[in-house]
Amino acid sequence: MKTPLAFLVASLAGAIVAVLPAAALAQAVVGQPAPAFSLPDSNGKTHALADFKGRFAVLEWWNYECPFVRKHYGSGNMQDLQRRWTGKGVVWVTINSSAPGKQGHVNGAKANALMREGGGAATAVLLDHDGKVGRLYGAKTTPHMFVVDPKGILLYAGGIDDKPTTDLADVKVARNYVEAALGEATAGKPVTVTSSQPYGCSVKYGD
Amino acid sequence: MIRTVAVTLTLLARLAEAVPSASARHVRASLVAETNAIVPGRPLLAGVRLQMDPGWHTYWRNPGDSGLPTRIRWQLPAGFAAGEIRWPYPERFSSGPVVSYGYAEEVLLPVEIAVPASAAGRVRLAARVDWLECQEACLPGKAEVELVLPVRASGAPSAAAPLFADTARRLPVRASAWSVRARMEPGALALRLRPPTGTTLRGAYFYAVTPRVLDYSGPQALAGSGPALRLVLPRDPNGVASPERLVGVLVAETAGGTIALEVNVPVASGAASSASSPSEQEKKR
Repeated sequence: MKTPLAFLVASLAGAIVAVLPAAALAQAVVGQPAPAFSLPDSNGKTHALADFKGRFAVLEWWNYECPFVRKHYGSGNMQDLQRRWTGKGVVWVTINSSAPGKQGHVNGAKANALMREGGGAATAVLLDHDGKVGRLYGAKTTPHMFVVDPKGILLYAGGIDDKPTTDLADVKVARNYVEAALGEATAGKPVTVTSSQPYGCSVKYGD
Repeated sequence: MIRTVAVTLTLLARLAEAVPSASARHVRASLVAETNAIVPGRPLLAGVRLQMDPGWHTYWRNPGDSGLPTRIRWQLPAGFAAGEIRWPYPERFSSGPVVSYGYAEEVLLPVEIAVPASAAGRVRLAARVDWLECQEACLPGKAEVELVLPVRASGAPSAAAPLFADTARRLPVRASAWSVRARMEPGALALRLRPPTGTTLRGAYFYAVTPRVLDYSGPQALAGSGPALRLVLPRDPNGVASPERLVGVLVAETAGGTIALEVNVPVASGAASSASSPSEQEKKR
């Protein structure tokens, strides 16, 4: 009896593993539930997407050495968004999917130091060093932005704005899609632009 | 006086060569032309040459999942006008689930320059070039490039002419002998390809110019046999639900070699049975 059961369990495990790549390809689709995840933050505390239920949440993919990320932190644009929206009760998580040894990889202490120096105001910096959550969401670039509603439905996926450059001056003239989505959604209005082309550096996943 | 003239001539001789810029770190840009002179009233084929350090690349007109297309801003004398970049077909760069389209080693981005009939003397063509150079990390690159050419009754091939000839072989051509049709299906966009009689298709890859329709990291599957084949392209789940047209470049591997074909076709909508597909739900949103 034991052997068949063990065999069955092993077969099921095999089936689940076999299904995973297809599930990963499903990615995060606007209008559907955002994929569940759980990650440690830069202080060792674990955050799950389910913890954010009842609040709007923003997921921001981050690599501090990427010139596109530097555009939005160097101009103060990202910190300003973080400060204003967390001030209104929105959860904002900055996610680092750079693998160890790759550009932009940070441990907790480094993440905290960078955010302190740069005036970062996210709720938490989440460490996704094996890139599982990044792959689950189909995060391609830094930055790549996602907005989730209080029920856990994905409202927005894409770029931070409509100016795909590294030029700091473009921040002022850009149409910021995250600002627009949060502004509309928190006012109870439908989101006009629900997705856009993300732009930036590739996320530095491990092999 | 004689010395001044000699110095001036030497300077002019130097200026007649492409003046490279040293501003970028891993990519060198220069401005070149197919011929060594400008002929009044006759278009000049010029181009920006990017030479990449080993391991580094720059991007195609659609950079794919990450990156930026190279941009050329021309500074031309009155009466001259630059056309669009004629993009050679790119290659793919994969980093985990991120797939980008671009060029390694070296690329020439040809541009046709309209020359006025009144052109005379020596002409200075200049441009500001901006690009993103990536190995694993990415850096914005820029250069001011220029080329000074004499105006003559006729021109001869320049030292860069072979580069233009090599690049011409990588430019997409109008696919008049091919039939290409696009149809939206649940989760995928299918291209129906019918090569000309006698051409055997061994492999194909479609580089989309139309943004936000395809998932660049997914596999493109060539299926079928006989005169018509299907190339099934995975869709971007958050992309445009019902694009009217699909523009891009089909790189076809045939027994006779690689051919790059311009594709610009209407997209037929899927079968009625797909009403409950994710794409349809997306459309309703």
